[in-house]
Amino acid sequence: MAELKTLDLRPGGQTAHVWEGGDASSPALLFLHPITGIPRWGEALESLANDFHVIAPYQPGWGPAKDDLPGVRDGLDLVLFNVDLLNTLGVGSAHVVGVSIGGWIGAEIAAIRPDAVQSLTLINPLGLWSEQHPGEDAFAQHPGFPTAVLFSNPDKRTELLMADRDPMDAYVGELLDLRASAKFLWPIPDTGVGRRLVRIDTRTLIATSEHDNIVAREMGDIWRAAIPGAQSVEIAGSGHIADLEAPEAVAELVRSFALEGVTA
Amino acid sequence: MKFHWFNLMPWPHLPEDFRETNRSVWVDVDSRLYDPVEGHRVYNEYLDQLEFAAGLGFDGIGVNEHHQNAYGMMPSPQIMAASLARRTKDVTLLLLGQSIALYNPPTRVAEEMAMLDVMSGGRLVAGFPVGTSMDDNFCFGSNPATLRDKYKENHDLIRRAWEDPEVFSWNGEYNKIRYVNLWPRPIQKPHPPIWIPGGGSIETWDFCAEMGYNYSYLSFNGYVRGEALMQGFWNRLGEMGVEFNPFQGAFAQQVVVAETDDQAEQMYTEHLQYFFDKCLHVYPGFADAPGYRTENTIRAGLRAGGAQGLGIAHTLEWKDWVREGYIVAGSPDSVTEQIEALATKLQVGHLVTLLHCGDMPDDKARASTKLFAEQVMPRVKHIWEDYEDHWSPKPIGSEQVATPAPVLTGSN
Repeated sequence: MAELKTLDLRPGGQTAHVWEGGDASSPALLFLHPITGIPRWGEALESLANDFHVIAPYQPGWGPAKDDLPGVRDGLDLVLFNVDLLNTLGVGSAHVVGVSIGGWIGAEIAAIRPDAVQSLTLINPLGLWSEQHPGEDAFAQHPGFPTAVLFSNPDKRTELLMADRDPMDAYVGELLDLRASAKFLWPIPDTGVGRRLVRIDTRTLIATSEHDNIVAREMGDIWRAAIPGAQSVEIAGSGHIADLEAPEAVAELVRSFALEGVTA
Repeated sequence: MKFHWFNLMPWPHLPEDFRETNRSVWVDVDSRLYDPVEGHRVYNEYLDQLEFAAGLGFDGIGVNEHHQNAYGMMPSPQIMAASLARRTKDVTLLLLGQSIALYNPPTRVAEEMAMLDVMSGGRLVAGFPVGTSMDDNFCFGSNPATLRDKYKENHDLIRRAWEDPEVFSWNGEYNKIRYVNLWPRPIQKPHPPIWIPGGGSIETWDFCAEMGYNYSYLSFNGYVRGEALMQGFWNRLGEMGVEFNPFQGAFAQQVVVAETDDQAEQMYTEHLQYFFDKCLHVYPGFADAPGYRTENTIRAGLRAGGAQGLGIAHTLEWKDWVREGYIVAGSPDSVTEQIEALATKLQVGHLVTLLHCGDMPDDKARASTKLFAEQVMPRVKHIWEDYEDHWSPKPIGSEQVATPAPVLTGSN
């Protein structure tokens, strides 16, 4: 089991809200959450914690860090937040896993601080745009069920994201997590990371979900082509939020790729 | 009580099956439904109606801003107001309003409104809405997570640009301008009256209270549903120690008048049905971009049971519309009674009447407007006469007003 910690990153600087689990002597793994944040210490993180020292922060603006959104303006601010967090925890480098918007953040870290990244796994990453493969607009959804499109089946939203939480808090939290995502991805999820992907020299795996409504499979090919030496795989059955929908598949592909260099 | 005549300027030719064949009247509405040559006729008809209302003694004539919208064809309210400024003399130009967060730099808004105030001899009301999510976020691409912050900065910059006689620098989060020095400056000092159109956001109430601005509740839900919201505004002012003055509030209301109640129903039902059925057919996914509403407003909305009203208006009939206040309608006597009820419930000094509805033809819009001006307004104008209206323009004296020269035949 893991612990949700609150850490001051540097005097006068930001506070991090971070789940930490697994053996501190295991290889470090930085988990960068998707648009929907981290609703709980879930199955994927628990499984990864068997083999890794899992560090899973809420990015500024998400979950308990909802009020920190004004303090970050762009991708560089997010990179610095995560690098400062690793430094605060005494972790020099980590295997980096990013889902959805976390994929973008992970790619930025690898492009800007390659020394901090041992391997890079990007799952349904956002941040590149193709007019040919726009996908559904994650921000133009019915306000009654605003993240349903992120799942392979709308019922999965209820089951995986909203369950076991106070209904009003879960719903408001869902909207605030979307707000934080919109700050960086509005109105078109082209973050400019495409100009920096060529700088990534870490071994990289791109995974796309079979039933992702917002990141088309073809986008995985575009990411792979842009990152030197990247490999790609598909996650069967899952929608965009693969860590919630296919936790064991995600944990297994991360484990195989990060520890053994194998693409399952 | 003061009365303003407002035309949303709807496109009047949406097809019968519009609801079934289009997901939204706004943002991604099929542009092939628009015909620019017919648009020329429609614009002129609508502008003529505004001028007609001015001639009948309405206190103000109103224009607003919408984008990619088949029920509101005024992307630029300034262009419409400029046209009206030259052909009217005394009436308030109610520009309600311009979504100031959208403009970079917003000094452009300050310039254009100053131009209008000068052109009209000081008749401008400057409306500063945050704007709808449809317009701001989806049509203009403005980021919902920073929209309100940008609104605040743009407001502060416009106010200073109007009021600071010195050249100044603006080093903001969203605007950086080394030399701000507005030419021309507004006639009205320190600035034209500022009205804030809103839809129920708590932060907007506080803003109006702090700044002394008029709060204009613009919805199509009508005065019965509007009561709770306007009461929330008045209560908030009371809590903040602001003395009650009905002219600090405005309300928009659909109104139709005929010789008798039955005649009103016969004449106007189809046009109101057009409005509720087609013009308010907005895809819910465009209504509330993530971050557009603050956490406080979201929670308050959930506690109040969520949004109700608009979604069902198109399923109702005439008698329901009247009973539930979606429309103020009927004979001059009936409408007078309903306006008195509205004034009591909402306690507003300014009523923005929507006397043109949906695809209403010109003759009906004029008939309804004329009856309202001649047989209703005189009987309700006295309401709130004990209060001083600090939120209407203060134009220059009639001896200073310039008159446009007649256009010579054949010269244009």
